Amino acid sequence: MNYFPDEVIEHVFDFVTSHKDRNSISLVCKSWFKIERYSRQNVFIGNCYSISPERLLRRFPCFKSLTLKGKPHFADFNLVPHGWGGFVQPWIEALARSRVGLEELRLKRMVVTDEGLELLSRSFVNFKSLVLVSCEGFSTDGLASIASNCRHLRDLDLQENEIDDHRGQWLSCFPETYTSLVTLNFACLEGETNLVALERLVARSPNLRSLKLNRAVPLDALARLMACAPQIVDLGVGSYEDEQDSESCLKLQAAIRKYTSLRSLSGFLEAAPHCLSAFHPVCHNLTSLNLSYAAEIHGSHLIKLIEHCKKLQRLWILDSIGDKGLEVVASTCKELQELRVFPTDLHGGGNTAVTEDGLVAISAGCPKLHSILYFCQQMTNAALITVARNCPNFIRFRLCILEPHKPDHVTSQPLDEGFGAIVQACKNLKRLSVSGLLTDQVFLYIGMFATQLEMLSIAFAGDTDKGMLYVLNGCKKMRKLEIRDSPFGDAALLADVNKYETMRSLWMSSCEVTLGGCKRLARKAPWLNVEIINENDNNRMEENGYEGRQKVDKLYLYRTVVGTRVDAPPFVWIL
Amino acid sequence: MEKGGVEHEITELRLGLPGRDVTEKIVKKRGFTEMIMTSSGSNSDESGVVSGGDVEKINESPAAKSEVVGWPPVCSYRRKNNCKEAWTTKVGLGYVKVSMDGVPYLRKIDLGSSQDYDDLAFALDKLFGVRGIGVALKNGDNCEYVTIYEDKDGDWMLAGDVPWGMFIESCKRLRIMKRSDATGFGLQPRGVDE
Repeated sequence: MNYFPDEVIEHVFDFVTSHKDRNSISLVCKSWFKIERYSRQNVFIGNCYSISPERLLRRFPCFKSLTLKGKPHFADFNLVPHGWGGFVQPWIEALARSRVGLEELRLKRMVVTDEGLELLSRSFVNFKSLVLVSCEGFSTDGLASIASNCRHLRDLDLQENEIDDHRGQWLSCFPETYTSLVTLNFACLEGETNLVALERLVARSPNLRSLKLNRAVPLDALARLMACAPQIVDLGVGSYEDEQDSESCLKLQAAIRKYTSLRSLSGFLEAAPHCLSAFHPVCHNLTSLNLSYAAEIHGSHLIKLIEHCKKLQRLWILDSIGDKGLEVVASTCKELQELRVFPTDLHGGGNTAVTEDGLVAISAGCPKLHSILYFCQQMTNAALITVARNCPNFIRFRLCILEPHKPDHVTSQPLDEGFGAIVQACKNLKRLSVSGLLTDQVFLYIGMFATQLEMLSIAFAGDTDKGMLYVLNGCKKMRKLEIRDSPFGDAALLADVNKYETMRSLWMSSCEVTLGGCKRLARKAPWLNVEIINENDNNRMEENGYEGRQKVDKLYLYRTVVGTRVDAPPFVWIL
Repeated sequence: MEKGGVEHEITELRLGLPGRDVTEKIVKKRGFTEMIMTSSGSNSDESGVVSGGDVEKINESPAAKSEVVGWPPVCSYRRKNNCKEAWTTKVGLGYVKVSMDGVPYLRKIDLGSSQDYDDLAFALDKLFGVRGIGVALKNGDNCEYVTIYEDKDGDWMLAGDVPWGMFIESCKRLRIMKRSDATGFGLQPRGVDE
């Protein structure tokens, strides 16, 4: 029974924007469920196979923004074969047939086609925002459709996609009358860019706030672009090579002096170190800096830049910065909240660029740090214990020691105690990635202390099924669990089948689970899709007489309300 | 030494590591350890693997390390962009820089991903979006561009003369220049007549 008319309740609901909160509201009573579903503007679907477009439209007929995620996270590391799934086409087709006034579409790890983009561009008159992250399957022709047909487009944000670049004229497909661009990010395009069309587009976009260029935009073009868009807040520099004469650098410096609004800087896909210093005048205002693609810039130049960045909140960098560089970060960037240190040498060639010392320095110097991704060659329990003491506010803690099974390099002990200290101190930890030599003990700690943990990534860790069981039993808020190359098997998988209803998904590859175990699980839990991904064998698993005991190479299971998906390729077997 | 029918048993070739039975019992940890042992099958280094919580010592060859799929967990987009090989002193493996006259930016190309000059020609065409570079490689006289490369010794050579294997071992960087500029550039003379 409501004390207020529906319109008032709806107005109150407008202030509730988080998906979790809106989901909670809809459970209060039938009336609220109804009001909420008609007023939901933003729909988030973390696994595109958990629900169908038709059911989405039945529940939420009036939404404006849709976020969809496709492949599992480990697809980023080539563990999911090409063609596995995550096709957005059926979604676009269903939405196009309906009367939804779609304005925003955000996709992550999905397969998009040019036909899909064309249909999208023609079906929604008010379409404003397209954000594609780690997607594939389309070309610049699809972008041309978007540019040509979306009259009210504000955002075209392409992050780390595999796009077939036909080097066509997609940029010139934006009509001359089109002036509403706010975000343009095409850094991931590999081919040449129509610089004239780009400059004209930027010049007629007074609302442009974010511009991220690809590597084909040379220095002098960059200088000209910056000169006609001094209002930019977020800039992604494409490249500049030192083949250019220094006149371009001077032009750049002149343009930069006017950049008082700039808060975020990224790119430098190919960069000459001496031009980095051109950006020093704007550093004092920067809150976000991403130099993680600037493989060619020596650590000392990175440090010189960072010394000027006192307001930095987010820093993504390569380990070429070294421990010394991280000490500079620790003493300069007191507002730092998020740090990511990526490896330059993927094969651990013995060069100890950053070590546990850098991590400790950061934890000591940056009191607001809450998210970290750190790739390094070595770690100690003592360092992790110190980090935990310095920084009890971690929400995300991802440590990747490059060599699997590597112990504490001083004591040769497993790193159980170090990670144990992290989970015990950080009461708000939501995401954790562990690495190095780890026994079941670390999972005992995680199960005991990591009460808020939602996502856990495990690789080359643990001894027995007990490890996985500690996690499944202890972490009540677990949503995504991904495990590779660890000795967990059927006993752990089958211990609590109902647990998986509370989770979005489970990934297990190169573990000890068998086909028989997976089949038993699928029988007990018909509301799960239990997928076996077996690229090499195709149907050999069925013919083999020992099939029950045969180990499964890749298992991916997820809850769903729409049963087995129909678009699975032959190498995916859904039990 | 026994003679007769037993002799061939002693000399019989077996696949797998010495002491195979022992390792099959002990190895509980799959994954990385197994991968090392199977991928470097002829590696006679001792791998002492102890079950339970004891510390494990693995003797790994560097080649085996890089064979683990999807490790380290760096996304493929980032791997492509941050290829470190171009910056080591190793020559011929991985990426080399390619410049083209008239194009204001450098590109990088992975020589390791081409099988022969035809492949390379195709890849260069794709990289710069200009058809005809490939033709330059194949038959030197009929086109606008020549493809030259800087070799280990710092000399600039015409690409296409030496056998492919020799080429990728010594190529440090590539340059696509206009034929008209090439004369007088100081290219090293061709080696053996074809």
